[in-house]
Amino acid sequence: MRKKFLFFLSILIISGVILAACQTATETEEVPTDVTSEETVSESSEEDAGTLPRDETLYFNGQQWGTVVCWNPYSSNCNNAMALAQQDNARVPMFETPYLYNMLDGKMYPLLADGDYEWDDGMTQITFKINPAAHWSDGTPVTADDVAYTWASHVKYNTQFGAANKDYIDTIEALDASTVVVKAVLGDDGKTINPLLVQAYLSSNYVIQKAWTQKLEERTGEDPAALMADTAEDAVYSGPYHLFFSDDTKVVLVRDDNYWGQDSSMWGKLPVPKYLAHVIYKDNAAGTTALQAGEVDVSQQFNSNVQDLWLKDNLPISTYLEDAPYNIGASLPTAYFNMDSYGLDQVAIRKAIAMAVDYDTIISNAMTNQSATFTQVPRSLMNPTPGEQALFDHDAVADLQWAGNDIEGANALLDEAGIVDADGDGWREYDGVNLHYAATCPNGWSDWQAAIEVVAAAGSKIGIDITTSYPEWSVYQTVVTNWPLPETGYDILMMWSDGAGPTQPWGRIRHLISGEFAETTNNWNGNWGGYANAEADELIQAIPTMTDEADLKEAYTRLVEIYLTEVPSFTLMYRPQAFHTVNESVWTNFPHQGDGTNPLVPPLDLTDGWSIAGLYNLTLVNE
Amino acid sequence: MKNALEQVFHSRKFVAGFSIFMALLLLVFVYPILIRDKPLAIIGQGTFFPPGIYVDVYDSLNSTTYILNLDDAAINRINKALGDQQRQELKDWLMLAGVPEDQIDINNTELLLDLWEKSYDEALMIPGLTYAEQRYYQRLDDSLEGLLSIEGVVIAKEDAQTGELEKIDSITQFDYVNIGEVTNVRVLPLGTDNFGRDVLTELVKALAVSLQIGFVAGIVATLIGLTLGLLSGYVGGILDDFIMFITNLFTVIPSFVLLILISFSIGQENRGAITIAVVIGFTSWVWTARAVRSQVISLRNRDHVNLSKLSGHSTFHIIVNDILPYIASYVIMALILQISSAILSEASLSILGLGPRTTDVPTLGLMMNWAMIYQAHILGKWWAYFPVIMTIALITFSLNLMNTGLDQVFNPTLRE
Amino acid sequence: MKGYRKFFLNKFFWLLITIVFAFILNFILPRLMPGDPVAAIIARVAQGMSSSTGMKDVYEQYTKLFGTDKTIIEQFFIYVKNVIHGNFGLSFSQYPRPVSDIIHSAIMWTVCLQFPAILVSWILGNLLGALAAYIKKGFDKVLMPISIFISNIPAFGMAIILLVIFGVELKWFPTSGGYGFDLIPNMSLKFIWSVIVHYQLPFWSIVLTAIGGQAIGMRSMSIYELNADYVKYSRFMGIKDKTIVKYVFRNAMLPQITGLALSLGTMVGGALVAEIIFSYPGLGYTLLNGIMGQDYPLISAVTMIITIMVVMANFLIEIIYGLIDPRIRAAQLE
Repeated sequence: MRKKFLFFLSILIISGVILAACQTATETEEVPTDVTSEETVSESSEEDAGTLPRDETLYFNGQQWGTVVCWNPYSSNCNNAMALAQQDNARVPMFETPYLYNMLDGKMYPLLADGDYEWDDGMTQITFKINPAAHWSDGTPVTADDVAYTWASHVKYNTQFGAANKDYIDTIEALDASTVVVKAVLGDDGKTINPLLVQAYLSSNYVIQKAWTQKLEERTGEDPAALMADTAEDAVYSGPYHLFFSDDTKVVLVRDDNYWGQDSSMWGKLPVPKYLAHVIYKDNAAGTTALQAGEVDVSQQFNSNVQDLWLKDNLPISTYLEDAPYNIGASLPTAYFNMDSYGLDQVAIRKAIAMAVDYDTIISNAMTNQSATFTQVPRSLMNPTPGEQALFDHDAVADLQWAGNDIEGANALLDEAGIVDADGDGWREYDGVNLHYAATCPNGWSDWQAAIEVVAAAGSKIGIDITTSYPEWSVYQTVVTNWPLPETGYDILMMWSDGAGPTQPWGRIRHLISGEFAETTNNWNGNWGGYANAEADELIQAIPTMTDEADLKEAYTRLVEIYLTEVPSFTLMYRPQAFHTVNESVWTNFPHQGDGTNPLVPPLDLTDGWSIAGLYNLTLVNE
Repeated sequence: MKNALEQVFHSRKFVAGFSIFMALLLLVFVYPILIRDKPLAIIGQGTFFPPGIYVDVYDSLNSTTYILNLDDAAINRINKALGDQQRQELKDWLMLAGVPEDQIDINNTELLLDLWEKSYDEALMIPGLTYAEQRYYQRLDDSLEGLLSIEGVVIAKEDAQTGELEKIDSITQFDYVNIGEVTNVRVLPLGTDNFGRDVLTELVKALAVSLQIGFVAGIVATLIGLTLGLLSGYVGGILDDFIMFITNLFTVIPSFVLLILISFSIGQENRGAITIAVVIGFTSWVWTARAVRSQVISLRNRDHVNLSKLSGHSTFHIIVNDILPYIASYVIMALILQISSAILSEASLSILGLGPRTTDVPTLGLMMNWAMIYQAHILGKWWAYFPVIMTIALITFSLNLMNTGLDQVFNPTLRE
Repeated sequence: MKGYRKFFLNKFFWLLITIVFAFILNFILPRLMPGDPVAAIIARVAQGMSSSTGMKDVYEQYTKLFGTDKTIIEQFFIYVKNVIHGNFGLSFSQYPRPVSDIIHSAIMWTVCLQFPAILVSWILGNLLGALAAYIKKGFDKVLMPISIFISNIPAFGMAIILLVIFGVELKWFPTSGGYGFDLIPNMSLKFIWSVIVHYQLPFWSIVLTAIGGQAIGMRSMSIYELNADYVKYSRFMGIKDKTIVKYVFRNAMLPQITGLALSLGTMVGGALVAEIIFSYPGLGYTLLNGIMGQDYPLISAVTMIITIMVVMANFLIEIIYGLIDPRIRAAQLE
């Protein structure tokens, strides 16, 4: 009797403790949101506290993976996709840049700036003015001083943005309260080393308030590590949205109705959705299910076979383009050859492998047709956008462009070069040694893995043994970014290339084949195969300072010729800058092809670069 | 021994489980002989082809055509493109475009299509229509073209030099071909997966590999567990305490976490099927060791063991001759359970992306993994994942049935 | 109770040693994984960087911060010192978020999901098993194969099937998340109801898979007990069946309790599959991400928690066993 009693007592105690703990679970959920809970109470008092009104909220997926860590524009570790992305197409809902880049027409439109920027005659500095209507969330106006102080802080604390640009930008000064002068770093010849990169700063990097930065410096004692690790939930911003709520399962931004952009000199009105919300999904599948259910309005995920959603399931879902490739290709995932691998120093072998790969299968199986084929857009160094395609002479390189799956041509090439199968074992030899290579990409990147499988399959058709290997991302990146590459396992490696931006296609070409990056360590830029070509390097050096269009076209054409003849790497597919799939069950009038907007609004999920104009055009579906 | 075997095969449960298992094994061995395709060959350009019979359209043109006059052929054709829902939607659009309702009769196909042709304008902006709906109507319009016509089509060839079209054949709406006469017909009972591979062939190969992994892992785990259990149970004392201590260590670090850590560490290049099997074996022996140990403890004071001890036989001799035969039945059951749990572990590992290499061999877990990554379960492509789940369930089910059957034989009290 | 003290001390001693060794193991194991976690952070930082000298500086900055430039022994002592102060360090993969913060927000979801699920499946499974053993006949013949089959559908399989049938097709339950996608957590009825609704599918996927196993085990034990001598003797003596049954099931339950303890112990890591498929917040997924991102502090902390829970559960059960069943105590001291 006693024993039974003791037994049940212990069970009771344990269950009681756990159940009590469970009760506090819902309360403790609010603890991590300490700062925001006051805002929650005050702002949502008119509606059912705790529910985001569906017809005032725009839901996203595919940008934010994992919990938001901080809101600090100086840091690179915030994992805060909705608010912080200082990149070619900068994300501007919360913090703003002076200019916005539009990838559809290649132009820069003023945001915080007033009018266009200007180079001086010697092309050594850029001047632009600040829009007098622009002001911070605390009411103070945005001044040139803020721009100058932001740059000075990036340099002083060696943030990622300072480190990336200080070789090209010397100083940024405030001539007066509304005029900014950006001074470029000059070479020995007195000319700007790289004007393209200086220009790019204007549309890629945020302007941060000087007063707030000083507050931050004070509370972290000007220690760089502490400064960049600060969670910065009190950051002062100039954009239309700011933090409303953030926890492990979602992050929500709310509109500031005092946003300066409603001034007639800018947008003339407030952005339509009151809340921008992003639920944090564990993987693509959960995100797609939510998209299907209408719980997500804008999706940046790669949804395989996205067209089935409207063709077969009849859901009100659409992409920017009606048909394949459904989105605008902008970046070129590339397979790099390791120049040091045995036999890969031979052009014939490189080109033969590149010719034999069945790109159509890659595009239809790995990308489920969300990429233009190489018949529609023959390969070059440029992405499929009309802007870049116009920059080189197509006829001059037509002979060099191959469409893929050309087994005959590849075999002929190899035979001509004398690389044959002498001993009859089914594999070709080079100087008596059988050729075999490992094609590799990081584990878990499914569309890349599917592409690499196709590359490997091509090898057996031309008598070269290609196997695949998928190391974990952490191992892969450590190996690939440090020359020399290991002797085995990394012969054909897949990495990304640049997408669309103000410095493209020059930036991409530089990252693909410039000798500056060959054989270096800690190399996050490119040219991981170690290729070097003096003529190409010269052209790459010269392009940023060229102004004559004919000269530029000649230079770019020559670069494409070199690339397609030498084949140091080859493009596997075209990938969109961002995936843009929308569900029209609540909101409509999203950007789509032929939507008549002027300037054209790019399909970058309504947050990047000029795409943010889309937020002002949205309407509710009236039923 | 013979008697035991007879009894084993009398048990209904065991026989049921055994026959399922044998059927699976038979499938694994016979199928590759009949269908000689390589399991990992990419045959589809495109993802997730549904199960069905695939007929080469080009070859069907060259087959004998038979003319069949079927009453419902035309009606079927029309209804496929213009079902009840589509008719209603045509009516909705027409009303939005201003056509008065009494003029629209959705049941009169000719009239409806006539009205549609006259009124539909792609460029017309109907207020309140979302972009997705506009595109839907465009597609609907395209599909309705020529729906009522009774003319056939003409097959033409393009002249390589001039680009002109030359007619080679014409087809009426009454021409049928016999599938058996078409040269290239491929049956894909389970369609293709995201890579474009034939799911059924891949599944059979994956079954073979998973069974292999299961066997190897099961044997490794049982061997380790058996040895440690015997030693610690029989010898006792400090050795027992020490082995129990190690067992406890392995218990407290959850085996799955350990499995993930090890799998991650050895890296992708080294993750062959057998390596994974050995790793799984190394992390799952705990339960067997414990069970064996408790059996041995209860056996060690039996009379025959004491007799052997007195006779001066060595420890090894006693363990092998006096203890092992008595726990043999138990060990076999443990082995069966280890095999089934090893197959499950491999599947779970692969789902997380930490299983064997994709290109060498398919395994059941890897097929599930890719199906989930390409969101087959959300897009309704059930053939890519459901057969895999059922196969895993079947294997483990048959193994467990066999186990229960054996249990009944060795433990007569459990018999019905 | 004299022998009891010796038993208790013996168990306690081994408990301590196990914890110490487990602690050391928990520290070492993650650090044995190949790859450099700092490089992973640099990858995020460096996207878009054009100059490599900048990169190198940043790399060194972080290495110093995380202490990965010191030897393992040094790192270990720093770690021990911090843990004693309750500081589990800063996470690598979610830098600069502290590990304790990450665990704190995730663990409650996991525990609330797992604990009731394990209890419910244990109770239901044992009930079913016991009934099957007692009633025999038709109930048993039908129940056994069905429960074996269902328990053999792998956990992820069950989760996917439930998701597809009830979430995607029938739309009776939501398909992901811990609570409604448009809700902000607060104590309102709407929120709590939403949590309950989102709770159903992950809960039932765990329960259904586990019931079968429990039922089978309990059935075997019950049958074994029902055929024991004392049962037959009591029956002949005329003692009512109801009374006998109480004793029978108490004896049969003993091994099941061990199983329960083990399940409870490993519950923290056990919901991994359900969390991923249902996008349910919890510790399992955090751990997996930590492993993929080589987040040593996070991995060490989580495995430490699991370890301690398992050890405590084991210890508790062995003590309770000793209390309940005098035979065990005597056998252990042999």
